[in-house]
Amino acid sequence: MSVIWTQNGIVENDPWISGGEGADSPKLLPLAEALDHAQDNAPFGVVLQPADDVRALAPILERVAIVALTFPAFSDGRGFSQAMLLRERLGYKGELRAVGTVLLDQVPLMLRTGFDSFEVHHAPTIERLVERRLPGIDLHYQPSVDRTDTTTGYSWRRTAILNG
Amino acid sequence: MYRYDEFDHAFVEARVNQFSDQVARRLSGEISEDAFKPLRLMNGVYLQLHAYMLRVAIPYGTLNGRQMRKLAHIARTYDRGYGHFTTRQNIQYNWPALSDIPAILKELAEVEMHAIQTSGNCIRNVTADHFAGAAADEVADPRPYAEILRQWSSVHPEFSFLPRKFKIAVTGSERDRAAIQVHDIGLQLKKDEEGRLGFAVWIGGGQGRTPILAKKIRDFLPEADLLSYTTAIMRVYNLHGRRDNKYKARIKILVHETGVEQLSAEIEAEWAHLKDGELKLPDADIAAINTYFAPPALTPRAEGWGELAAWKKSDPGFAEWVGRNVAPHRHPDYAMVTISLKPIGGIPGDASADQMDAVARLAQEFAHDEIRVTHEQNLVLPHVALSDLEPLYRALLTDGLATANAGLITDIIACPGLDYCALANARSIPVAQEISNRFGDPKRQAEIGELKIKISGCINACGHHHVGHIGILGVEKKGAELYQISLGGSGDEYASIGQITGRGFEPGEITDAIETIVDTYLANRTDTDESFIECYRRIGADPFKAALYSSEAEAA
Repeated sequence: MSVIWTQNGIVENDPWISGGEGADSPKLLPLAEALDHAQDNAPFGVVLQPADDVRALAPILERVAIVALTFPAFSDGRGFSQAMLLRERLGYKGELRAVGTVLLDQVPLMLRTGFDSFEVHHAPTIERLVERRLPGIDLHYQPSVDRTDTTTGYSWRRTAILNG
Repeated sequence: MYRYDEFDHAFVEARVNQFSDQVARRLSGEISEDAFKPLRLMNGVYLQLHAYMLRVAIPYGTLNGRQMRKLAHIARTYDRGYGHFTTRQNIQYNWPALSDIPAILKELAEVEMHAIQTSGNCIRNVTADHFAGAAADEVADPRPYAEILRQWSSVHPEFSFLPRKFKIAVTGSERDRAAIQVHDIGLQLKKDEEGRLGFAVWIGGGQGRTPILAKKIRDFLPEADLLSYTTAIMRVYNLHGRRDNKYKARIKILVHETGVEQLSAEIEAEWAHLKDGELKLPDADIAAINTYFAPPALTPRAEGWGELAAWKKSDPGFAEWVGRNVAPHRHPDYAMVTISLKPIGGIPGDASADQMDAVARLAQEFAHDEIRVTHEQNLVLPHVALSDLEPLYRALLTDGLATANAGLITDIIACPGLDYCALANARSIPVAQEISNRFGDPKRQAEIGELKIKISGCINACGHHHVGHIGILGVEKKGAELYQISLGGSGDEYASIGQITGRGFEPGEITDAIETIVDTYLANRTDTDESFIECYRRIGADPFKAALYSSEAEAA
């Protein structure tokens, strides 16, 4: 069982859930297919693997409805840099989802690197996310792409802007 | 030295709470051991052969008396009354209970210390020259830059799950006392033609099973670009470093397989996007961090010159200690004192709680409350008036801390080895102890002169054997311990990787083999001024091999 979680809570009937193979449901396409598909009119999303170069999406990014980045293992941190490049370098403003092995302790770091939705399988993680008890630290020693306050002393420091 | 502000205090407190929550979730089974392992490692908690081990960060090896007293208190209260200073300027405790670790972290936070990123596949504690801020040959103090890097790298959202561990070292002078060429990133402070401060940047050095010296990728990086350039290196490494084989995952392999020109071009291309962004360091921030490291006000103490000469004349033991363990300070009335943690026959790097308390007291009494940990597993008091050397020596003597062997054959680096470590194939400590006893006679050591022996109990090379003038590597062969010898390694500005001599030696033979090597050096050196490493570089490995393996050659 997996759920989609965002800062607003659990998303019901998310159309992009992996394995949601309804004939009419839009598709998360691998990079090569997405590049081929870019001329179609139907909305589509992209699911990237850690070795994919996110910069290849640049020409079609405006037409992409969602980008999913895959974490094949908890310890594989390539998705964090892919997310930074998407947000910072390519200026991607759409939904950015973490899929694969998504566990509680990564989520605060993922939020800081620009992810805004999460496909989660791990029951204790889902429980904590639903309770909104994230294990993050609200004081940061480095800028990132999340919304933060910069008036915290040294130029590299930030504090989280907590919503609600 | 750096002092925490409110932000730092609140951050470390939040980190302790975060880790306590992780431990609680592990104990309740919410987190599997597989998922917990990277989390505990990122906070310095290892699982060793007999117990958990906690590694506490001593950023760039600098601490004060109050902090040292806390380390002593932790050793006494939560461990077995001692701690082990490491080659990365940290301290580790070998016997804490997992359930005590949150309490230890809270105690550390009281004195502005932590265990953040002392292990795991993240940016580790940043190291620096242990003589920083005192050495006469320094271009600039490396510690402010190490501190900026420490802050920036703490719980970095993008770089907490790297392919492998990542070590950065900063040196402040041409003379490299931080071994920057065997680090993932090595930074050497320097000035350009206009007198602006910046760094020569080296990447891809490392030891382990594939020892490689770093390559210089930039001759001069302005200081303002420190964080943006480091980010560019880290991003390229995080995306492209190998993840299919942990033994090929360090950046040195990426440099080797990609080629330094191409990789450096990729880093520069990435940096072009980052250099004018929010990571550019304002002069005011660099200046503000620098003020924390302002040297102590050293009053003239010229009376020390005459006193020192008289004391040396009257006490040969003191004279010997001054000759070995005392180095010139940039202020002529002061000196830098190395406190050897290598007593003859002792365990390299170990200090008892009482010894730590003594060092804390002496630092406060004689050394402007500053202590350093060296990557050679000794301690340093960086600012001692010549006039205070004699009383300091007397006090060190009572606590067994006055061994006069800095840089000599008994100043051995050794990893914990099979006595503690789950990775080890062989013991390191008993080998170090036996060599130390064999060469313990002060006259004999002095006759041999500068000679660095470094011992690792497995191929991961925590004992830095690749850069030992004589390196010893413990391996396991058919269930027994065997020791390989390498010669000619060096970790300074003339860095080199040692070459293996030939077949290994059994535990009962290794000290004799070291003696054979030493005798060969003594027989071949041009005069007493030619050190072991200079002699080796002149005559090569063959005379040593011939001496080590001659009986076999005859038998064949």
